[in-house]
Amino acid sequence: MSTISHDDIGQDLRRIVISGTLDTAGANSVASRLSELAADPKKSVVIDLTGIRFLASIGIGALISCAKTVKARGGKLALVVDHASTVMMSLEATGVDQLIPVFKSASDAERAALA
Amino acid sequence: MGNGFSASLAEEFAIGATAVEARRASDWLEAALLQRGVPQAQAARLTLCALEVLANVLAHGGKAAHEAPIGLLLEVILDTHHGEARVTVSDAGRAFDPLTVPERAKPKTLDEASPGGMGLALIRRCADLLHYRHEAGRNHLVFGARWSPPR
Repeated sequence: MSTISHDDIGQDLRRIVISGTLDTAGANSVASRLSELAADPKKSVVIDLTGIRFLASIGIGALISCAKTVKARGGKLALVVDHASTVMMSLEATGVDQLIPVFKSASDAERAALA
Repeated sequence: MGNGFSASLAEEFAIGATAVEARRASDWLEAALLQRGVPQAQAARLTLCALEVLANVLAHGGKAAHEAPIGLLLEVILDTHHGEARVTVSDAGRAFDPLTVPERAKPKTLDEASPGGMGLALIRRCADLLHYRHEAGRNHLVFGARWSPPR
């Protein structure tokens, strides 16, 4: 199944790590927690997807909802993705890589989210 | 097919119409593709495609789709010149030909983006071939990938 965890870095940044497969079964198990974590008033959020094997459209939908929530309260969302992975292919195929900043390294994503 | 070595393999799998069963089917498919010599990149694309196709059946197939098993047929053709893997997903849900749905423009901004409706874009991107037929009361969606074997 899919798992989700998080840690807060200082006052302004929340790092969320999701692993497993974000298909219908996987998204059902993490989407509500992801939504809660994004809604918390930490300003910016980094989501690490390097542990994701497959990112299906339902998982992409959860990321879009999360990005809208973070943006609505004035924060920034950035993703950490292995650029050679099927996760990157899913983001490119749907154009979401042009809507949410995607980085190979967690440190670059954190810098961008806090900028 | 070209000259030289040629092999054709087929295998079937059936699942119940639930999200957990769809995951079981995708796990089976990925393992079967790799076991039959399909390269990792093509196996990954077809597995993702299967997840999307099965999600569509569960979400839009209606009551009939949930009352009958969903079938998967895997066919792999290998010869010295090319490889091809085809997956047929068949279900008893309401007739739906995804090839008739116009391709949606990619959203240009986050405000334009909707959390739903991206599955067909993924299926189109992942498949090198895509066919649909409705036969004997069942949808049959065929998707596949092709590759050139290393020389």
